[in-house]
Amino acid sequence: MARGLRSVTNVEALSGGRLALLAIAIFATFAIFLSRLFQLQIAEGDDLRRQSERNSIRTVRIDAPRGELLDREGRVIATTRPAFQLEVIPSELRRPATTFEALGRLLQRDSGELRARVGQPRGRARFQPISLAGDMSFEELARVETHRFALPGVVTEARPRREYPDGDLAGHVVGALGEIRADQLEAPRFEGYQQGDVIGQSGIEAVAEQWLRGVAGGRNVIVNVAGREVDRLDEVEPVPGDAVVLSLDLDLQREAVAAFQLSPAEAKAEVAEPGITEKLGALVALDPRTGEILALVSRPSYDPSAFAGGGIDPKVWRELTHGEWKPLQDRAISGQFPPGSTYKAFVAAAALQEGIITPQTRFFCPGSFAYGNRVYRCWRKEGHGSVDLHTALVRSCDVYFYEVGKRLGVDRIAHFAKMFGLGRTTGIDLPEEKPGLIPTSDWKKQRFGEPWMGGETISISIGQGYDLVTPLQLAVSYGAIATGRAMQPHLLKRVEKPDGTVVSETQPKVLSEVGVKPEFLAAVQSGLRGVVEEPGGTGGRARVPGVSVAGKTGTAQVIRLDANKNVPEEKIPLRYRDHAWFVSWAPVEAPEIVVAVLAEHGGHGGAAAAPIAQRVLAKYFEKKKLAVPATETAGVDGGSITAQVHPAAATPAPKAAAAAPAPKAAAAPQPAAGAADEPEAGDGAD
Amino acid sequence: MEQIERRVWRDFDWPLFCLMATLVALGLGNLVSATHAGSVGLLSSEVERQLVALGIGVVGLVLALVVDLRRLERLAIPIYLATCALVASTLVLAPMHRGSRSWLMYGPIRLQPSEFTKVGLVLAMSWLFQRWPPTALTRLRDLWRPGLVMALPVGLIVAQRDMGVAVLTLLVGATYLPFVRIPWRAWALVAGTGIATVTGMWFFVLADYQRSRVLDFLEPGRDPLASGYQVIQSRIAIGSGGVFGKGWMEGTQTQLRFLPTQHTDFIFSVIAEEWGFVGSAVVLGLYLTLLLWGIQVARRSRDPFGAYLALGVVGIFFWPAAINVAMVIGLFPVIGVALPLFSYGGSAMIASLIGLGFLLNISMRRFRS
Repeated sequence: MARGLRSVTNVEALSGGRLALLAIAIFATFAIFLSRLFQLQIAEGDDLRRQSERNSIRTVRIDAPRGELLDREGRVIATTRPAFQLEVIPSELRRPATTFEALGRLLQRDSGELRARVGQPRGRARFQPISLAGDMSFEELARVETHRFALPGVVTEARPRREYPDGDLAGHVVGALGEIRADQLEAPRFEGYQQGDVIGQSGIEAVAEQWLRGVAGGRNVIVNVAGREVDRLDEVEPVPGDAVVLSLDLDLQREAVAAFQLSPAEAKAEVAEPGITEKLGALVALDPRTGEILALVSRPSYDPSAFAGGGIDPKVWRELTHGEWKPLQDRAISGQFPPGSTYKAFVAAAALQEGIITPQTRFFCPGSFAYGNRVYRCWRKEGHGSVDLHTALVRSCDVYFYEVGKRLGVDRIAHFAKMFGLGRTTGIDLPEEKPGLIPTSDWKKQRFGEPWMGGETISISIGQGYDLVTPLQLAVSYGAIATGRAMQPHLLKRVEKPDGTVVSETQPKVLSEVGVKPEFLAAVQSGLRGVVEEPGGTGGRARVPGVSVAGKTGTAQVIRLDANKNVPEEKIPLRYRDHAWFVSWAPVEAPEIVVAVLAEHGGHGGAAAAPIAQRVLAKYFEKKKLAVPATETAGVDGGSITAQVHPAAATPAPKAAAAAPAPKAAAAPQPAAGAADEPEAGDGAD
Repeated sequence: MEQIERRVWRDFDWPLFCLMATLVALGLGNLVSATHAGSVGLLSSEVERQLVALGIGVVGLVLALVVDLRRLERLAIPIYLATCALVASTLVLAPMHRGSRSWLMYGPIRLQPSEFTKVGLVLAMSWLFQRWPPTALTRLRDLWRPGLVMALPVGLIVAQRDMGVAVLTLLVGATYLPFVRIPWRAWALVAGTGIATVTGMWFFVLADYQRSRVLDFLEPGRDPLASGYQVIQSRIAIGSGGVFGKGWMEGTQTQLRFLPTQHTDFIFSVIAEEWGFVGSAVVLGLYLTLLLWGIQVARRSRDPFGAYLALGVVGIFFWPAAINVAMVIGLFPVIGVALPLFSYGGSAMIASLIGLGFLLNISMRRFRS
C-alpha cells in the first residue's frame, strides 16, 4: 500500500534543518530554565532560605501565669489555673459536617453555631486555629479527647486562665481583665505588650499589672503548614507574675457582703424591688493608723470571672451596663453623696478650734431656726431644748449646728473639712476615685458666677446642699477624727515573688495632720461615742459588747416627688428613698478600725446603716479575741458566715466602669430646700 | 528472521534505555520524599500506586518495543479511535471531580484516558503524514486532515472540562507544524487574525463577569489566592535549596507540607529544594538529553512513520515538561500540568512508558529499510 510514500526518505519526511531548529529551540528553553534556577537558587538563595526558615520556624509565646491576689492572711482572691481551649484548624478538617455534629454533641452546643463560628476561611486563614470553647470542663475535655482521633482538625490547648474563687465578693477591688486597647499599646507604660494581650483594665488587676504580669517565655518550634508543632528547638520558661498581697481581710469582706443581704422579712417588704436581690450601697473598713483597707464593698457587684478570658459575653455585658443599679460602678470610691449629719463632726471640730464654741456652749433648739426670710427645721419637730455640743452630736440636733455654721461661715467649714481629708481624692490605689465636693464661696463664684448665700451655709452645716463625699473619704476623715491624722488609704500591702521574697511593701502615708487641738478632738470623739453608747443616741444599733464604739449617723437626701412628701419611707419607691450613712470607729480610745457604711436608698442611718457596720465591727473584734490565744490566725474563721455570692449578677467592664456616671442619688441632693429634715431612727428607741 | 531479530537486539538503544531508567528511578525516589510527610512507613500509598503503574507501564513499554512498525502503522488509526472512545466514555461514565470529568473509576482502578489520547494522536498523525507528508502541505487549507485528526480528541477533552490536558494535546499535535511547507506569511496572517480577534473580544466585547467566566472555564476551580500561595511557596522551596539542596527527605518546605500539590504539579520544587541547583540541573540535563536523543532518533529513522512517531514522542515529553517547569519556577501561570516520569499519576506514567517504548523501537530498527 501507499507505494509512493514508502519511498519517502527520512530527509523528505522531516527536514533535518528544521529538526535542528527544533533541537535548538528545546535547548534554548532548557537554558532559560537553568538561568532562572541559577537566579532563584544561587542569586536569591540565601534570602529565600531565610524565608523558608521563617515559614517553618515559629516562636511560640508561652504566657506567664498571672500573679495571685491574696488577702492579708494569704487567702486567695484571684489565681491562675490552666484552662482547656478547643480549637479547630479548618485546613485539617476532613468531613466537616460529621465533625461539627460530633463536637456539638460532645460540648452540648448547637453544631450549626459551631460551624458558623469557623465559617469558610480561605487562603492562609485556613491554617490558623479558631477557638470554639475557651474554658472546657474536665468532663468536656475528656469527652473530646476520647474521640479526638476521629476528629481530624480538632485540637485542645491548655492556656492559663484567671479564676476568682469568691465570684463577686470583691469584684470592684479585684477589677476586670481585658484585651489591651490600641491607645494603651502606644503608652510607654505598656512597652513590650502586643496586640491581643490580656491586661488588668480596672481595679487591682490594672493597678498591679506590672507585678502580676510576669515575663512571658517562648519556644522556637518547627511547625508544619497547618501550624502544628512537629519539633521543638529551644525553650525559655515563663516567669510567673508576682503575688500581690492586699490589706483586705476576706473574713471582714465576707461579713460585710453578708450584711448587705436581705433578711427574709426585708426581702418581702421593705427593700424588695424587681432586679434587686440585696441591699444597695457601699462599705469601707480601714485601719486608721495605717490607712490599710480591710474591706471594700460596693453592692451590687460583679464577678470578674466574666472577663477572665479577655472578652465578655455580650449578653452579660448588656446586663451589667444597662441596669438601673450600675453594678460596674464602685460606689465606695466613686459614689458621691451628701454626707448629711456625719458632717456635723467636722463642723464641731472646726468651731471648737476656731473658738466659736467650747464644749460647754449651749444653744436652744425650739425645733426650727430662722435665717433670712426662711425657716430651717430641726429633724425633731418638738426641738431638743437647750443642748451642748455633746448632746447635739448624740442626738444629731440640727439647730445647734445651724447656729454654729452661721458663725463659722462656709469657708472655714471647708478649710477644716479638707484638713480631715474631704473634698479631694484620697489617692487610694484604685482607679476611678472621685474627689467629692466641699464648697467654698470662691468655688460658687467660679462655678455659678454668683455670691455665696448665707442660707446655703446653714444647709452646709448639716452636710446637705452642695456637699458631696464618697464612702471612702468619710472613712478616712473619721479615721482622722479618731487619731488626729488622715492616712492615705491603700489596698496593696505587699508584693512577693513566688518564692516569698518581698519585692515592695507599701509604707503608711499621712495625707494630712488635723490642725485641731487634742482636747477639742476629744470633745468631738466623746460626742460620737455617745451617739452609739448613750441612751437617746442615734447610732445605738452599732454597739459591740465589750468594745467602745464611736460613730455618727447621717441621711443623704434624695430628691423626691411631691406625691411622696408625706408618705412613710417604706411605701416610697426605692429609688426615691434617702441614703443612710453610718460612720464609726472602735475602740474609741485606741482606734483600730473605721467602718463607713452607705445604705443606698436605705432610709435612716441609724436603722439601715448602723447594723451593717456593727456586724463588721463585731466580726473584727471577735477575730481579734480568737487571735490572741492562738498563734496563727489564718485558719480561724470564727463567725463562719459565708458571703452569699451571686455569680449571675456579676460582670463589669473596665471602660464602662470608667464611663459609668455617679449613681442617681448622688446627683440629686436637694440644695437646702425646705431645710434638712433629719429623722434619725434609733432616737428614743435605744 | 532469527538473524534479523538478533541484529535488532544488537542495535538496541542502550544509552536511551539507561537515560530513561535513570529518569524513572530519580522520579520514584523523589516521589518517595515528596509523599513522605504524613505517611506511615517509608513508602506512601502514592508510591505504591506509582510502582503498580510502573509495572503495567513496563509491560506497555515492552509491547511498544517489540511490535513491528508496519503492524503498528496498521493499528495506528484503531488505537487512535480507541483512545478517543475511551475519552468519550468519560463524558457519560466519569463523575465530576474538581471541576472536570477526566477520571474513570472502577473499584481501586483509576484511569485518566486523556493521557492516552496523546499517544493515539501521535500514532494517527504519523499514519496521516506517512500518506500525506508534511512537505506536501503547502497551503493552509491542506491542514484540514491533520486538523480533523487533532480536533476529535481535543474537542472531547474540552468537553471533559480538562483544559490543561486539552491545551497540551493541541501542543503535541502542533509539534509537527514546523515541518509543513506553508509559507511564513500565511502563518503570520493566521496568527495576526487570531490574536487580534481574541484580544479585541477580550477587551472590547466581553464584560467583566464574562471574562471571569472564561477564566473559570479555562481553569476550573480557579482560586487566585490559592495559586498565589502556591507560587510563593514554590519559589521559597526552590530558592532555599541553594546550590546543593537540603538533602533527600530534608526539604522543610516539602516535609512540612508548605508546598501544595507537591507530589503532582509541583514535584519539581521538591527536586529543587532537596537537591539544589546541582540536582535540578542534572535532572533538567537528563531531560534535555532525552529530548535531543528523541530528535536524533527521528532524524536517523529510515522509516518515515517511525520518524513522525519519534517526533511525536518528543512532543509528548517536551510540552508538559516545559510548561510544568516554567510554571513551577514562576515563568508561566499555574495550570494543572504534570511533569512526565516525576509527577504522581499512574495513567501518565503508563502512557509515558509506552511512548518511550516506541522511541526505543524506532531507534532499534533504524538500520532496517
